[in-house]
Amino acid sequence: MAKLWKTTVACMLVFSLILAGCGGKDKTTTADGKRILKVWGMGGEGGSLPNMVEAFEKANPDIDVQVQQIPWDSAHDKLLTAVASKNGPDVIQMGMTWIPEFANAGALLDLSSYTDKYPNLKPENFFEGARETMKYNDKLIAIPWYMETRVLYYRTDLLKEVGYDQAPKTWAELQDAAKKLAARGNGNYGILLDNQDAAFTLPFAWENGSEVISSDNKAQFNQKPYVEAVQYLTSFYKDGSAPSQSDMQLLPAFGQGIIPMFFSGPWSINQIHETVPQIDGKWATATIPVKEEGGKSASVLGGSNWSVFSSAANKDDAVKFVSFMSDPANQIEYYKLSKDLPSTLKAWDDKALDGEQIATFREQMKTSRPSPFVPQWEAVGQLIKAALQQIVVGGADIQTQMEDLNTQADALLQK
Amino acid sequence: MQKAWQSLVKHRYPYLFIAPTLIILFVFSFIPILVAVFISFTNMNLAGLADWSNVEFKGVDNFVQLFSDAVFRKSMFNTLIYVVVGVPLVVIVSMAIAILINQGTSWIFKTFRVIYYMPSITNIVAIAVIWGYLYNSQYGLINHMLEAVGISPVRWLQDPTIAKFSLIIMAVWKAIGLNMIIFLAALQGIPRTYYEAAQIDGASRWQQLMRITVPLLGFATFFVSITTLIGWIQFFEEPLVMTKGDPLNGTTSMALFIYQTGFQRSDFGYAAAGSIVLFAIIILVTIVQFKARKKDSDVEY
Repeated sequence: MAKLWKTTVACMLVFSLILAGCGGKDKTTTADGKRILKVWGMGGEGGSLPNMVEAFEKANPDIDVQVQQIPWDSAHDKLLTAVASKNGPDVIQMGMTWIPEFANAGALLDLSSYTDKYPNLKPENFFEGARETMKYNDKLIAIPWYMETRVLYYRTDLLKEVGYDQAPKTWAELQDAAKKLAARGNGNYGILLDNQDAAFTLPFAWENGSEVISSDNKAQFNQKPYVEAVQYLTSFYKDGSAPSQSDMQLLPAFGQGIIPMFFSGPWSINQIHETVPQIDGKWATATIPVKEEGGKSASVLGGSNWSVFSSAANKDDAVKFVSFMSDPANQIEYYKLSKDLPSTLKAWDDKALDGEQIATFREQMKTSRPSPFVPQWEAVGQLIKAALQQIVVGGADIQTQMEDLNTQADALLQK
Repeated sequence: MQKAWQSLVKHRYPYLFIAPTLIILFVFSFIPILVAVFISFTNMNLAGLADWSNVEFKGVDNFVQLFSDAVFRKSMFNTLIYVVVGVPLVVIVSMAIAILINQGTSWIFKTFRVIYYMPSITNIVAIAVIWGYLYNSQYGLINHMLEAVGISPVRWLQDPTIAKFSLIIMAVWKAIGLNMIIFLAALQGIPRTYYEAAQIDGASRWQQLMRITVPLLGFATFFVSITTLIGWIQFFEEPLVMTKGDPLNGTTSMALFIYQTGFQRSDFGYAAAGSIVLFAIIILVTIVQFKARKKDSDVEY
């Protein structure tokens, strides 16, 4: 009997060891002595990353890069878990809007001391807008990799029919064109304005002089410039130029002319070619309309940066990898693979980036800015979406909603 | 102490046998619940997660804020609608289908058993894609059919009230299969002799159903309604994949609210407070249901 007792205890010990093993430290070298570098890539980018990794491994035969692909939808959750367990990857691809949140939590390594050894990491190599996403509290924590920005996509043939040989250049022209296009009737609209995109109001608010969130972390939503931008944008829904709620598929609707204008990033170029090739040559891109003649066009800069986790096991190789990815020549290689636009100024000198449609993005990129660089932006963005929905779908008063939004956002920003 | 230890040693085998369950329950249920209770009194967020020195004790602030939060109150209201409409619907429909399928044994009954069970084993994301197309207001199948009989298009997922019911319909459709199987098993346990006796007494089919089948299904009904109720109070997957709580938070359930505050806004303290409220509601409802269950007959299947 005593024997059975011991066996049982032994079994339980083994069982608890297995449980404990789940949280154990992973190996840092492979069986043949290569140093392991763990990289997390997001979404489609994670898919084309292995090709770049191959070149990196060829140049650094003593490093074994292990890429894990994470879908964008679950990336934020995975990152939270990695921060909590301190058992994340070495290198991580960060969506630009997430950087302040994770930097504020101290999850990202300060790379300032590496810039002498790896000049690729220096801020002056990158587009001006992208530079704003590299530093948090004077620490260099994220190196831009690829960028995207929103521009206006429009059907040249349909706009010509309503008297526009060129894209609408100003707010007034955009409104006029949308109104005339919607007047075609038969369920046709003038433009699609996606009010469920948190960044949707930003270009117009910026063009109108709003800071959205001031440099001393105060929300500016109830101020005149922002309110005016919202008034301008919601007028499209009111007069029926834009659908206030829509579950139609954008690209087929663009192809059929139901939605002749929309704002989107560079990914839509290929999507349009693939989904609705029949309208090739009948559409074009243009920079976002300015408020008044002579004004400056603004747009939202997005994309991804590379960061090194502060709990990384292999920091030196991690920085080497980040430097490799920020090398202009490698960025061009990556552009050829993925069509994601490079973040370094030098990469844009390459003729791989010539072309009419790309030129619009290049032009827009000069004046694009990232979303407000505060840790709470994700949460504030949710509030903006909710407020816009109250106005557009619920028919709430704009000024009242904006006052509410401002109070709520300020409460978040004080945290 | 000595005595307790001696009794523990004496009865070691039963304790050993339940030990694995106890350990797993303790590690994966009790400890997380206790941690959540603790977190709900703090301002735990991402910064706190990375470095515990950033965590501050906030007392009951989170709970006070929660009950003045319009979105949370709305999510409680939505959850109430889901439960009040959805749970009886699931119980009644799955019982009815089980009784119908139990009428025969030919291939057609077996085929329908599989058909009704299918939604339960289908991935929720796949279901969301298909139902998303069905509910689409522009070119969805449902609106297409309505149009054919002259009814104007319904905004299935864009109207805050209709969207709630659209989600309920989908969730009921998904929940029928599993509960139907439970009812079927119970039905097959009811002896034929009761029906024979009733037929001799001249009872009609309807009387047999209402006086024998339904009452004898008492235990199965209790089990199905309690599991369904607990499941529906935590209504989550459907709004997450179909609407993300839109429009105007019209479909946000409590569980979805907790997920969004916790994992999208990284406000763990606040989300934990929400989950404690949800937990308390579930416990309360379950206790009430156990108490309300009168056992007036000892023969149930």
